[in-house]
Amino acid sequence: MSGVDPTVDADTERRLVQRLQAGDASALDGLMERYSSRLYRLAFGITRSSRDAEEVLQDVFLTVFRKIGSFAQRAKLGTWLYRVTTNAALNKRRGLAATVEVALDDLLPTFLADGHRAGDRSFLLADWSETPEGELLAGEARAALDRALAALPDGYRAVLVLRDVDGLSNEDAADVLGESVPSVKSRLHRARMALREIITRSLAPKQATAMVRGEISRPA
Amino acid sequence: MILEYLEGEMTPRDVEEFERHLEKCAPCRAYLATYRRTKEMAADVGRIEMPEEMKERLREFLLRRLPRQAPAS
Repeated sequence: MSGVDPTVDADTERRLVQRLQAGDASALDGLMERYSSRLYRLAFGITRSSRDAEEVLQDVFLTVFRKIGSFAQRAKLGTWLYRVTTNAALNKRRGLAATVEVALDDLLPTFLADGHRAGDRSFLLADWSETPEGELLAGEARAALDRALAALPDGYRAVLVLRDVDGLSNEDAADVLGESVPSVKSRLHRARMALREIITRSLAPKQATAMVRGEISRPA
Repeated sequence: MILEYLEGEMTPRDVEEFERHLEKCAPCRAYLATYRRTKEMAADVGRIEMPEEMKERLREFLLRRLPRQAPAS
């Protein structure tokens, strides 16, 4: 699975799997060193809770030891671990979703028949992309992003984490999620659009004010 | 259309047409720029590290449980 880690040495990984299949618990360190950080990032990205992510990883590694016997060497260990982690994290969220999630359509922009967005012109012209990173990743924009991430339906957040955080290809993400590539692409695009919309709703009033004051130029 | 554009899946002709449109359409330029920035922000905030003490806790948890969980050789 090139998207997971292109530097992974296939032989080392094959030996690791063989040791795990032989019931060698000392292979745990190699497995953890290789995967725990990445799997934690994925589990946290989906659950948005460090406690839940920790429990997910406990479940994942226990599952790996229990089921490694049926793991086929031709499959990729990384893909399997990502799949087990994604499923465990989504299961952890099951039942919580209804209390937190907002219908995705409520987070998406409205489009006109010609493909342009509908809305007030100052909102449509709001371009906060040049805002310094320190400002974007703190304060109001960061709070808006965190709210938006929490509000995304779990399945959409899973795609976003796999693609944009972990850098998996559409094909690898589809493999992990057991979905089609078009479905992954559609969810990814809708998730990004929803995040962008929420951040813009939070920052656009400031942009419009700055434009009126001439602090930033009005685009042609 | 933005996704196809960013992922390089448009035909050269469609890219040309899309970019010509961008040149004269400020709302579309703003949308594309903020969409790209959103993708980067999501990646930045998602790249968190697993705390060292959590790694150690996980290792200890697994070592306690594994003798009973490990498959027979």
